[in-house]
Amino acid sequence: MSTPEKKRIRGRLIFFSLLALGLLLAAVFADRLTPFDPNAQDMSASLQAPGGVHLAGTDRFGRDMFSRILVGLRTSLLATLTLVAVITVAGTVAGVLAGYLGGAPDAVLMRISDVCLAFPGLVFAMAIAALLNGGIGNAVLALALISWPKYARIARSQTLTVKSSNYIAAVRLSGSGPVKMIGKHILPNILGPVLVTSMLDIGTMLMELAGLSFLGLGAQPPTAELGNMMSGGRSMLQTYPWVVLGPGVAIFITVVVFNLLGDAVRDYLDPHSGKR
Amino acid sequence: MKTWKKSAAIVLALMMAAGSLTGCGGNKAKENSSNTDKNSTEDTAGKTSFVFGDTTFNPENEEADVNPHNTYAGWACIRYGIGETLFHYSDSMEIEPWLAESYENPDELTWVIQLRDDVTFSSGRKLDAEAVKECLEHLVAVHERAKGDLLIDSITADGQTLTIKTTEPRPTLLNYLSDPYGCIIDMEAGITDDGVVSGTGPYKVVSLVSGERLELEKNDTYWNGTPGFDTITVRTISDGDTLTMALQSGEIDAAYGMPYASYPLFQNDNYTFSSCATSRAFFAHMNFESPIIQDAAVRKAIAMGIDKESFVNTLLDGNGYAAIGVYPDNFSFGGDAVHTENYDPEGAKQVLEDAGWTDTDGDGIREKDGTKLAIRWLTYPSRQELPLLAESVQATLKDIGIDVSINSTADHNSIRKDSSAWDVYASAMVTAPTGDPEYFFTTHCLDSSAVNNGHYHSDKLEALEAEMAGTFDTERRSELAVEMQQTILDDNAFVFCSHLKMSMISKAGVTGLVAHPCDFYEITVDLAPVNE
Repeated sequence: MSTPEKKRIRGRLIFFSLLALGLLLAAVFADRLTPFDPNAQDMSASLQAPGGVHLAGTDRFGRDMFSRILVGLRTSLLATLTLVAVITVAGTVAGVLAGYLGGAPDAVLMRISDVCLAFPGLVFAMAIAALLNGGIGNAVLALALISWPKYARIARSQTLTVKSSNYIAAVRLSGSGPVKMIGKHILPNILGPVLVTSMLDIGTMLMELAGLSFLGLGAQPPTAELGNMMSGGRSMLQTYPWVVLGPGVAIFITVVVFNLLGDAVRDYLDPHSGKR
Repeated sequence: MKTWKKSAAIVLALMMAAGSLTGCGGNKAKENSSNTDKNSTEDTAGKTSFVFGDTTFNPENEEADVNPHNTYAGWACIRYGIGETLFHYSDSMEIEPWLAESYENPDELTWVIQLRDDVTFSSGRKLDAEAVKECLEHLVAVHERAKGDLLIDSITADGQTLTIKTTEPRPTLLNYLSDPYGCIIDMEAGITDDGVVSGTGPYKVVSLVSGERLELEKNDTYWNGTPGFDTITVRTISDGDTLTMALQSGEIDAAYGMPYASYPLFQNDNYTFSSCATSRAFFAHMNFESPIIQDAAVRKAIAMGIDKESFVNTLLDGNGYAAIGVYPDNFSFGGDAVHTENYDPEGAKQVLEDAGWTDTDGDGIREKDGTKLAIRWLTYPSRQELPLLAESVQATLKDIGIDVSINSTADHNSIRKDSSAWDVYASAMVTAPTGDPEYFFTTHCLDSSAVNNGHYHSDKLEALEAEMAGTFDTERRSELAVEMQQTILDDNAFVFCSHLKMSMISKAGVTGLVAHPCDFYEITVDLAPVNE
């Protein structure tokens, strides 16, 4: 690979990492950054246009939209990251175990994942979330239940490839136990594709969580969450557009940043895929 | 190679974008042409049609069909011009004859009603006393609320003369007969499995899909004038935003239940508003089976913790006013004839403090004997402002240390019957559809009430109702109405938040869609296209 291109890829990775880090910091320190209490209602200041004291305007209850978007970003982003972490870990563990052990454990784990994949994703998630009675935690759980098989499949196929390579045979000959084998020799070698998939999934999962909340199955009022904020304001799209556009733009920016970061990570870890 | 691929991709993307745009354009053109057909203008065959969008014509609001003998479906029957009652309400809510011509009340238990001679059902049958008798006998056999209201002992029919005997003196019999369940339908034609009936109204049913749409056509033999449209479609559009856009795009010609937030979009020359103060009230039922709600201090604090003024001015956008008791201001026994708690967060905190509810763990929510002061607020979204009320209450009650979790669901009718599933139930009901005060109490507050959701019981109220039931004198009835309201308000068994102004919005090309204080006269013989 030519050096300038490598430099460019690294530069992109750093740039988008910084943007993502910025979003994360804004989310983590949302409490300190908010100019107003995001849940404090002040009906006398209802539906004020953006500008002035209220940077992004106010909603129907007179709550400051900017504060709510920041706090909503935190709710959405932290839930999304938790979700992606959970499915990455759970999926990878299941996939590696299935691939490494083979036989009955493999068959059982893969059939369970087949069952999960047999339902249309979001519909299945809606059914689970509705059964569990809404709430952001339950929405995460519902999406986790339908999303882990993807990771299990990737991890399993990678494990199978790695397992049949010569160096694993050498490790085996040198007498390593299964724990050392998986931890030291298999996992590090399959982590690349898994990591890229999970980075690219952040945007998708954020949208799906927001979607569940929009439908009333995710975060419950008064919790500010980007999806339910859009849902609450959707009747005012024509009359008071900032109530919907604020959280909408926040979702847009977050998803774009994390998707581009995912791309950059992929290019960095696997330079050939970018050129095709 | 790379650049070639890139430019090819750009060209492809542009082509796709162009394709999708033309797709949209094509659809729009098609829609427009079908709109002009559907609109209240004449189509090629010279027929006029009208499409009405309604948020509440669905099982969620107990209007699954148009059969008046089925829960609240009579509302649909009378609203859409299918059925008519023996008597009806004037604009000042006084009783006037409708299918009846006159009545006599020879003794306290007997009512002799003379029917009109020129009325036929849309099935073709003539309306006579026998037909009315069959209808009312079926009604009280299958409809619990009607049975309890009417207390019919026997009905005799003789030509056009109907004689009703009640088991107890029933001063408000005519009011109850004017309730939508009193729509007179032809029992010989019967009630189909879909819940379709033959009434005497200006329109008759062609087809009905519950919770979706109702197709009507003009009743050519209507007794009281010529209906203005050849066909009418009533579409159930439970979502307020969809309803807004349907009226904007011309998919519907008029709408009932428009969210207040959308009003500014229609306040121009292209649309007509018909508004009217009704007795529809947003109010909360307290669940007396719930241990927390059984605590009088908690009920009082909730009543003191609801900011009615802000709700009315901001969230209802002024389309209503803060309520004190059951009835609106225009009733002699309504408005400030009674008194109740005002919005007073500091007072509410004191009440809870005195009752031993204190915040010991510093999370802002009060506790007592290890129980958190948390209530479950049940409501439903098809009255667009109920979820807003819930969210507003959630904030104001949190302020005084009560945690509110909201369950806003279309399934509220099954949940409210399970008294372990909720603590407070907020609904929007008409409190005096019959113009008489007794209705609200017999429906919601007594041991015998069909929808006493919170299982409220008061000996005093039962005694007052026993007196009201036998009182013919209107003045005494009004006094009793005040006392009874005060009883339930003192117990904080119900909290009345606001009385609503109802509006129907129609396109400027339509005339005769007029809102009525009772909230159930909508489509009448007067509804017609504007003649240009």
